[in-house]
Amino acid sequence: MTETPFHDKPRTSCALGGALAAISALPDVVPIIHAATGCGGNLMNSVAFGAGYLGSSYCSGASAPTSAVTETEIVFGGAERLREQIASTLKLIEGKLYLVATGCMTEMIGDDAGGAASEFAEAGEPVLAISTPSFKGDCYTGYEILLDGIFNRWLRKAGAADPRLINVFGVVPGYDPFFRGDLEEIERIGARLGLKVNTFFSPTQTFENITAAPEAALNVILSRTRCRGFAERFEEKHGVPWWATDLPVGPEATDAFIRELAAKLGIDGAERVVAAENEWYYRYFERTADSYADGELRFYSVTVTNSNYALPLNKYLYRELGWTPAEIFVTDRLEEARREDLLAGFAELPVKPRFVSGSQEIARSIDQGRPVYRGQRYFDALTPLYIVGSTLEKQMALRRGAKYLAVSFPAYDRAIVAGGYAGYRGGLRLYEDLIGSFMSAKG
Amino acid sequence: MSYYEQRIPPVRDQRLQLADSFSGCAGELLECQKEGCLMRKSRSFWQTNACQMSLTLMMAATVAGSVIVMHAPGGCGAQLLAINVQSNKGRAQRGQPPAPLNWISTDLSEADVIGGGERKLEAAIAYADREFRPEIIFVVSTCAPNIIGDDVAEVVERAKSTAAAKVVGLHCPGFKSRVVASAYDAFYHGLLRDIPFEPEAWKDYVPLDPSDPRYEMEQAKENYQKAHTVNLWNATSIGYQDEDEIKRLLSALGLNTRIFAEYASLDEFRQISRAALNISMCNVHDDYMLKFLEEKYGMPYYIAGMPIGFSETRRWLGGIAARFGLEKEAARLADHEEKLAAEAIKPYLPALQGKRVLISGGVVRAGTEAAALAELGMEIIGVKAYHYDENAQPIFEELAAKLPAVHVSVSNQAFELTHQIRTLKPDLVVTHSGTHGLVAKLGAPSVQLFSADGAFFGYGGFYQLMRKIHFALGNVNYQERLAGHVRQPYKDWYWSADTYSCIKEES
Repeated sequence: MTETPFHDKPRTSCALGGALAAISALPDVVPIIHAATGCGGNLMNSVAFGAGYLGSSYCSGASAPTSAVTETEIVFGGAERLREQIASTLKLIEGKLYLVATGCMTEMIGDDAGGAASEFAEAGEPVLAISTPSFKGDCYTGYEILLDGIFNRWLRKAGAADPRLINVFGVVPGYDPFFRGDLEEIERIGARLGLKVNTFFSPTQTFENITAAPEAALNVILSRTRCRGFAERFEEKHGVPWWATDLPVGPEATDAFIRELAAKLGIDGAERVVAAENEWYYRYFERTADSYADGELRFYSVTVTNSNYALPLNKYLYRELGWTPAEIFVTDRLEEARREDLLAGFAELPVKPRFVSGSQEIARSIDQGRPVYRGQRYFDALTPLYIVGSTLEKQMALRRGAKYLAVSFPAYDRAIVAGGYAGYRGGLRLYEDLIGSFMSAKG
Repeated sequence: MSYYEQRIPPVRDQRLQLADSFSGCAGELLECQKEGCLMRKSRSFWQTNACQMSLTLMMAATVAGSVIVMHAPGGCGAQLLAINVQSNKGRAQRGQPPAPLNWISTDLSEADVIGGGERKLEAAIAYADREFRPEIIFVVSTCAPNIIGDDVAEVVERAKSTAAAKVVGLHCPGFKSRVVASAYDAFYHGLLRDIPFEPEAWKDYVPLDPSDPRYEMEQAKENYQKAHTVNLWNATSIGYQDEDEIKRLLSALGLNTRIFAEYASLDEFRQISRAALNISMCNVHDDYMLKFLEEKYGMPYYIAGMPIGFSETRRWLGGIAARFGLEKEAARLADHEEKLAAEAIKPYLPALQGKRVLISGGVVRAGTEAAALAELGMEIIGVKAYHYDENAQPIFEELAAKLPAVHVSVSNQAFELTHQIRTLKPDLVVTHSGTHGLVAKLGAPSVQLFSADGAFFGYGGFYQLMRKIHFALGNVNYQERLAGHVRQPYKDWYWSADTYSCIKEES
C-alpha cells in the first residue's frame, strides 16, 4: 500500500499535543507552552474530546500557561516573552516541575527555550524545556520527548535501588484513551505480586512516583513500538534495565505477563496470583456463556487502532472470544524497524496487520473483494462483522450493518472515565463493552 | 489597494482598534480607547486559548459539500474531530443529512519546514478534489507555512485552473493575532474572493424575454421580490433556533429571509447579491463581508447589536423595519410579542430577582445579555469580554449608560475568571462554552452565554434563556460537591491581590 505524503483525518496530533496530553496527567507538573495563543487550547481540546471526553485537569486545558507569542515575537524573537512568562508562572502557579514545551513557530524562528529555562534552573527553580515542535513528529513522538526530558535529563538518581519497584511506560495519555484504567490495573496486579508500581499518569500517582523512578529495578515498556530509545537512555543514565512487552488484555495475556514479570524480577508468587485472578475472572465469565454462546455471538473482526492496542486487542478477540480476524489496521506512523517488531507479535494470529491511517482508505480496503450482501441467495458475506476501531469507523460500520465499538483515538461517541481493558478486570470490561454496545438496542 | 483586492486578509489588529487586556468600567474603557492606552495593554502572564485558525475551521466545516485541506503540521486541525460533531448537529437541525467532515492535513515534517511544502499542498489539493469530489476545497494556511514562506495564495490560484471544485484560500495563521475574532474576516475573505455571489443565467433563473407581453410585470415582480428579501448572516455562535426566531419575526413583517454563510452551499451562495439588505446579528462578526457587499453590489447593510432581551430586540427589529418603511408594524409586533413573552417568563422572575450574575464571553453577547438580565432585576456584578474592538463600541456606550458602575474587563483568561468567581462569589455565571467545567469546579452554577444548540434571540429565545437560568439555579449540589474536592493551581497570594494584577501597559 502506498502511503500518501499527507494525512486523511489524522488520528494523532503533533509532538506538542502528545506532550501536553501527557503533562496534563502528571501530578504537580505545570506546562508552559512556548507557542501562539491557540496551540495549547486546540491541542488539548482535541484530547479533552476525542479520548472519551477526557476533559482537563489541575493546570491543563484553558488553565495552561503560554507565552502566547504574536507577530511581534515571530519577527523580533520570543525569548524575552518566554522569560517573562516563566517568571510570572513561577510566581502564580503552584507546581513541582515546570515544563516549557515549544511549538513549531518558536522553534522555526530559533528561540532558545532551553537557554531561557536553564537560567531559571540555575537559580534553583524546577524549570525544564523540551523541544516539541509539531514538525518533529506526532503525539507519540511528543510523549517520548516528554519522558526523555523528565526522566533522562531532569531526574537525578536519588536513593538506593529498590528490587520491588518497577516503572511502567509506553501507554500514551489521551491517545491511548483508556490509559488511566489500564495503568491502574497494572498497578493492582503489581501490588498482588508485592511490587510497587510507578505508572506516573494515573490518578493514584504523586510527584514522588516520578522522583523515585531512578530507583526502580525494571522499566516495563507496554508497547512494542514506543519508548525504545527512551528506555535505552534511561538504562544508560540510571542503570535500570528494560523489558518491552504488550499491554496485557484478558486472562491469557495477563497470566503470561505476570509469569514473565516475576521471572525478570526473580520473585515468587506468580502462580498464586495467576490462580486467584483466574478463579475470580471465570466465576464472572462463566455466567456470560449462556447469553454469549446461545446468541452465537461470534464475529469476524476488523480492528482499527494504534500499534499499542492492535496486538492486545486482537489476541483477546481471537483467543478469549474465539472471533475470526478479518482485517487489522494499524494507524500510527512507524519506522520500518518498529513495524517489524510489531509484526513479530502477530506470529500466532491468522491475520497480519496493515499499516493504514486514512478512514477513506480503510473503508475501501474492507470493501475490496467483500461486497455488501444485497439479498443474494448464496452469498458468503463478511458477516456477522464487528468493527472495533475509533469513532471514525462508525459510519462505515453503519453502512455495512456491522456491530461497532470505539476503543481507539478518537473515541467521541462514548464516555471513558475509570474504565480500561488491561488485565483481568479489563478483560471483563472489554466483554461488557463489546457485547453491551448492541445489547442496548433491545427493549 | 483595498483589503479585498489582496490575496491575504488583514488581521483585526491591522484594520481596527483592538484590545485583549483591560479592567475598569465601561466608561473608562471608552476613555482608554480614545486615549490609545487600551491598545497598549497586555499581560505578564497568559493562559492558552483558541486562535483565529480554530474559529475559521468551525465556520468552514459547516459549508455544504466542502473539504478542508490543512496546510499545516499534524497538530493543527486536531480539533476538527470535535467540530464535525457540532457541524453534523447543525446540519440535522436544518434538515440536512449528516456527513462526515472530510479533511486532510499536509502534515508538514521537518524536511518540509526546511525545503518548503508547496508541492505537498498541490498534491493534497489534487487528492482532495479526486477522492472526495467536493464542491468547495478550503485550503487553510496556518503558522508554519507562513513562517517558512510557502506562497499558499499562489498555490490556491494555480489549483483553481486544475481542480473541479472551487478552491478557496483561508489564511489564518494563529500567531498573527491573539484575537480570535480575526477568523470571521479570514473566512469571509476566502469566500468573497473565491466564491461567486451572483446568480447564473439558465442555472439559477431563466432570463426574462423583453418581447414577452408579461415582461414588465415579471420584471416588476422580480424587483419587488428582491426589495423584500434580506440576507441574515449567522456565524459560529448563532444556532438554528436563533436563525429561526429571527426569520419568524422578519417574516411577520413581510420580509423573505435567507441565511448565510454557515450551512449554505455553492448554489445558495450565488443568491447573495439578490437581496435588499444584509443583516448582521453581531457587531463583531460580519462588517468585513457586509462592507464588501456594499462596495461591490451597492447592497446596504445593517449592523446594530444583537437581538437579546426585550428592549434590544425591539430596537434591533425596529431598525430593520425602518429600512422598509415598516416602523409601525415592527412596533406593534414587538408590543404583541413582548406581551406574550413577558407572560411566559413571569413565573421564573421571582427566583431570579437580585441574583448576582457574572457574565463572560464574546464582547457583544456579554454586554447585551448583561443589559437584558439587569432589565429583569438580576444584579450584574461583572462583564468580561473576550476581546474588544471598535465595532463593539456601541455596546459599551450602552453599558456605560445603563450599568455605569459595573466592572468590565477584556479577558479570556481562566485565572482571571477563577479569581473573580472565588472572590465575588456570584450566584450565577453566564459564560462562554468551554469554561463551564472550570466554573463548576469553583462551586458556581452556570449557563451558556451562547450555544449553537440553544435559543437566545428574540422572544422565544429569551424565554428559553430565562427558563434555563431558573433550571440551573434549582439544584447546585453538583457544583458544591465538586468544588469541595478540586485543587486550584494558583498560589495563595493571588486571592488577596487584584484580579487583574497581571495586566500591564506597554510603552
